[in-house]
Amino acid sequence: MTNAVETRGLRRTYALDRRAKTGRSEVVALHQLDLEVAEGSVHGLLGPNGAGKTTLCKILATVLLPTEGEVRVFGRDVRTQTRKVRRDIGIVFGGERGLYTRLTARQNLHYWCALYGLRRPAVRARTEQLLERVGLVDRADEKVEGFSRGMKQRLHLARGLAGDPRLLLLDEPTTGMDPVSARDFRSMVDELRREGKTILLTTHDMDEAETVCDVVTLIDGGRVLAAGDPRSIGALVSRHERVEFDFVGPVAETVRDLLDLPGVVGCTSVSPGRHRVETADDDATKAALSLLVDRGATALTTSRPRLEEVYLKLIGDRGMAVR
Amino acid sequence: MALRYSLRVVRYSAQNAVADFAATYTWKSWLFGWLGRMLSQVVFFTLAGRLLGSPSLHRERFVGNSVMTCVVEAMMVVASSAWERRAGTLPLLVSSPAGLFEVFFGRSLQWVVSGTATSFVALLALGPFFGVHWAPAAVPVVVVVLLVTSLGSYCFGLFLSVLVLQATQLRNIVSNVSYLAMMTFCGVQVPVGYWPAPIGWVAECIPITHGLRAMNALAAGGRADMVGQQVLEAALCGVFWVLVAAAAFRLLAERGRRDGSIEYSA
Ligand SMILES: Nc1ncnc2c1ncn2[C@@H]1O[C@H](COP(=O)(O)OP(=O)(O)OP(=O)(O)O)[C@@H](O)[C@H]1O
Ligand SMILES: [Mg+2]
Repeated sequence: MTNAVETRGLRRTYALDRRAKTGRSEVVALHQLDLEVAEGSVHGLLGPNGAGKTTLCKILATVLLPTEGEVRVFGRDVRTQTRKVRRDIGIVFGGERGLYTRLTARQNLHYWCALYGLRRPAVRARTEQLLERVGLVDRADEKVEGFSRGMKQRLHLARGLAGDPRLLLLDEPTTGMDPVSARDFRSMVDELRREGKTILLTTHDMDEAETVCDVVTLIDGGRVLAAGDPRSIGALVSRHERVEFDFVGPVAETVRDLLDLPGVVGCTSVSPGRHRVETADDDATKAALSLLVDRGATALTTSRPRLEEVYLKLIGDRGMAVR
Repeated sequence: MALRYSLRVVRYSAQNAVADFAATYTWKSWLFGWLGRMLSQVVFFTLAGRLLGSPSLHRERFVGNSVMTCVVEAMMVVASSAWERRAGTLPLLVSSPAGLFEVFFGRSLQWVVSGTATSFVALLALGPFFGVHWAPAAVPVVVVVLLVTSLGSYCFGLFLSVLVLQATQLRNIVSNVSYLAMMTFCGVQVPVGYWPAPIGWVAECIPITHGLRAMNALAAGGRADMVGQQVLEAALCGVFWVLVAAAAFRLLAERGRRDGSIEYSA
C-alpha cells in the first residue's frame, strides 16, 4: 500500500527579522523529520506549542515549501507536482477565519466546489451533500457572519471536503468548540475514515487523539519523539500494567505482601489513601487483585499508562514555556 | 480544458463578488448613497476646476471627472483584494487547484460594473448641464469606452493589489495615491501635455489616458477612427497590465511559499 504522506529528512527554517536582535538569523521549525502516514488511517500529530505541527500541515497543503528533504503526498512531490497534489488534499484549521462571512454557507460551498473543478450540476449536488453531512441544511441560507463558532467550524470542515480530497489535513479543528460540538466533530472524522479517507489531525487534546487516531506521532522541536498506536504507546513509558486501589488504615503490611507476589514490580502512593501497584504480567495482576479484595481494598482499577502520561514524560512538564 | 476551468474560476469568483456586493448595497443604497456621492464628486471637481483653470477646458474637465469615477471604482480592487488576506482565505486559495490570478480577477469585478454604471449616469444625466450632448448613436460607444477604460484600470489595480497583498497596511495609501496620480497626470484636470515629457510617457501606459481621449473625441463629435484608435490603445494598456498582474500573482504565491508569508492563523 502506498503512503498518503511520506517525508524524508524534512527540514524547514524561517528567516528571522534582522531587526529583532535575537542573535539568531533563522528558526528551525522542522528538523530532519521522517514521517509516514498510511493511506486510510487517522494519524494524530501531537506536540507542544511551536513543535512544528502547523509548519508540517502547511508544507503538505502546498502553501509552504520545504527547505530541505523530500515530501510526497500519494507518491507525488509537493515541490514539482504541486498541481496534482492540490487536487488530492483538503485543509481545515481551527478558529474563525477562512470563510466569506458576508456570504451564506451555501454560497461559500458553491464557490469552493467550483474552485475544485466541479461543474454547475455537480457543484450544487456536492454542496447539498456537504451541508447535509455537517448538519447545516437548515441554516444554509444565512450569512456566515451570524454563525456560532461551532457552526463556522462545521462549515470549515464541509469546505475542506469540497474537492472530495483523499487526504484531509485538520490543524487543531476543535479549538474553541464546546464538548458536544467537539464530540460531533469526532464522529464526523470517524465517518470519513470509514469512507477510506486519510486524515492528519493535529491536536493538543489527548482524549481526542486517543479516541479518533489509529496512530499518533509525538513531535517536539521539529523532531519525532515517538510514534505508535495511541492505546499501546503507553509501553514507551512503562511496560507494566497498573492496579490502583483505596485503602483505609495502615497499608504497610499489605504492601509488603503485594511485593512478595511474583511479577509485582512496585507499589507507590498516588494520593493520600490511594495506591498503585505495577505488575509485569496478567497473572501478577490477577494475584494482586485477589489479595487486595481479601484485605478489603476498595475502588480497584486496572490500567495502562495513558497517552497523556507518555506526552508529559517525553515532552517534559515545562508548563507555559515555549521554545 | 484548462482554459475552460480558468474561465469557470473567474465566473464563480465574480459570482462571489456580486453576492458580496449585494450583501453591502441594496438598490436604494447604491442609487442614493453611492451614486449620489460619486455624482456630487464629479460636479464638485468640475466646478472647482473652473475656478482654477481656463473655462475653455470646462467640457474636457467634466468628461474627465465623469470617466475618472469608473476608474476610482475599478481601483477599489486594491482594497478589496486585501480583504482576502484579512479574511484568512489566501492560504486556502493557494492550496486549491485554482490559480490565484483567476480568482482575484473575478473577485472584484463588481467594481467594473458598478463603476461603468456610475460614469454612464454622470455623462448622460449631468452632461447637458456642462454643455455635453450625446447623439443617440454615440450612446453605445460611450458604454464601450467606459467598459474598456474601467476594465483596463481594473487590470492595473490588480497589479497594485499584489503589492498590497504583501503589505496590507498600505492598501488605502496605494489606492488613493494611484488614483490621485491618475487624476493629476492622465488628463483629467489638465491635459497630459501640461506635465514634463517623462511623466507623459508613463501616462501613455495608463488606460485612462487613452479612454479619456476617446471620450473627449466622442463628446466633441470627433471622427469614428480617432475614437476607435484610442479605445484600442486603452485596451492594449489593459492587456499589458493584465499580463503583468498575472505574472505578479504567480510570483506572490511562489514567494509566499518560500518565505512562509502565507499565514493562516489570526
Ligand atoms: N512565518 C513564520 N515566521 C517565523 N517563524 C515561524 C513562522 N511560522 C512558524 N514559525 C516558528 O516555527 C516554529 C514552529 O511553529 P508551528 O506553527 O509549526 O508550531 P505548532 O506546532 O503548530 O504550534 P502550535 O501548537 O502553537 O500551533 C515556532 O518556533 C514558530 O515560532
Ligand atoms: Mg499550530
